[in-house]
Amino acid sequence: MIGVGMTEFGRHPERSLTDMGREACWRALKDAGIHPKQIQAGFSGNSLAPYLQREVDIGQPILREVGIVGIPILNISNACASGSCAFREAWLAVASGLYELVIAVGTEKAFVGKGAMLDIGSQDFQLMQGGVFPGDFALKARRHMLEFGTTKEQLAKISVKNHKNGCLNAYSQFKKEFTVEEVLNSPMVADPLTVLSCCPNSDGSAATIIASKDLAKRYCEKPIRIAASALRSGTYEPNRNLALFDLDFEASKIAYEISGYDPQDIDVAEVHDAFTIAEIMHYEGLGFCKLGEGGRLIDEGETEIGGRIPVNPSGGLLSRGHPVGATGLAQIAEIVWQLRGETGKRQVENARIGLAHVVGGGREGDVGAGTIHILARD
Amino acid sequence: MLKKNQRAVVEGIIKCPSRAGEKPHLLGNRCSSCGKVFFPKRVICPDCFTDDTLTEFELSSKGKIYTYTIVHYPSPVGVEVPYAYGYVDLPESNIRVFSLFTESDPEKLEIGMNVQLVLDKIGTDEDGTEIVGYKFKPV
Repeated sequence: MIGVGMTEFGRHPERSLTDMGREACWRALKDAGIHPKQIQAGFSGNSLAPYLQREVDIGQPILREVGIVGIPILNISNACASGSCAFREAWLAVASGLYELVIAVGTEKAFVGKGAMLDIGSQDFQLMQGGVFPGDFALKARRHMLEFGTTKEQLAKISVKNHKNGCLNAYSQFKKEFTVEEVLNSPMVADPLTVLSCCPNSDGSAATIIASKDLAKRYCEKPIRIAASALRSGTYEPNRNLALFDLDFEASKIAYEISGYDPQDIDVAEVHDAFTIAEIMHYEGLGFCKLGEGGRLIDEGETEIGGRIPVNPSGGLLSRGHPVGATGLAQIAEIVWQLRGETGKRQVENARIGLAHVVGGGREGDVGAGTIHILARD
Repeated sequence: MLKKNQRAVVEGIIKCPSRAGEKPHLLGNRCSSCGKVFFPKRVICPDCFTDDTLTEFELSSKGKIYTYTIVHYPSPVGVEVPYAYGYVDLPESNIRVFSLFTESDPEKLEIGMNVQLVLDKIGTDEDGTEIVGYKFKPV
């Protein structure tokens, strides 16, 4: 990887998808120091534009704005994993030997009004009956609390940590710290998850440039190597244990195997903290601790910047914001900046290996699409 | 039976009582080859890869709460808040099902609690048609 770029995440009612996408691509191209005409293929992630903006195939108009035209361009939709799947397809395109220089961009305008929930999935059996995303995670939280003794305070600490980190990130939607009490006392969305336990719906875009090994060395002093890419879907088995993400265990096993690294080797991670409970469960699924010990990990400060395994130094979805199709690429950008040592006050000291993790969509308490990428500075 | 101004939330999942004294049931199906149970019903048994082994049957109407939540923000489909939903284990039918609950008071819900299937109004269509769904009620 030779370049990354993103827009500030947040509420941008005045900006179009094309406008935000252009800015992210421009920054990534500038960061890579290449001319857009050198790009051989483009991959654009987006999930909700067909529903929220009545726009389809937004990749071509975005890339056109920076002068990337006439080449193969693919639009990719995979819920929250749309951006990370665009990244994966871009990586595959280079890894296959077909292309040497490609761009992946993820863009979303998901802000739908304060306190409003996204109204999608009209044919889904559970949504038709009143199932909602925060509720589905609340169901997992209750099981986790029952089985492992995880507390509401531990859940709240995830939000406290990520909002604290977000204050150090210029791209973050929220730059405000909260206390455990404030998280617990914010309005209840789906018991036990309060408003400050849930990520916002946001607007934004992020992009990355991937080059073949030879080309990367030519254009970049410090290229970041993609050590592993894993993508899995859920099984939706009705009798599954909802206190854990089976998919995390499956996908991380693949990613660690491909990369040759262990969980202990990971210096910094961006994980899909759409809800506080999710981050705790992902600690366990990614092998940062044993099953059931996620609460202890946050209690002991191990996932803080400066801890044993810092998680979401960017502020995560909770604070940086969650423009659905852009999130995966924003995580990648953060890991790249961390590995290059360019993140200032939120820098994880001497970070060499990073992990980015997304889970998107889902039914019956299981995940639609989950990706794990491991990046390394050699 | 549903009345003229009523519709089921999802077609084909509920068996309404046809006479007084009868209880409602959820309709699932079971593969005669591997024994796996499906709710809602499926056309193909994905494990056996057959389309002629699935037989409809009435799921047990008695279950235990596996997990639950109480929602305080309006859902897009307009279920009145606060409302509770979650998963209910039906041990006699060997399946866990998604369900709304009749109670939304946290004091009246608990994991492991015994619950019984009931039919209830869960919303109204724009033309005034009443949407009838199933819920589980603590016993």
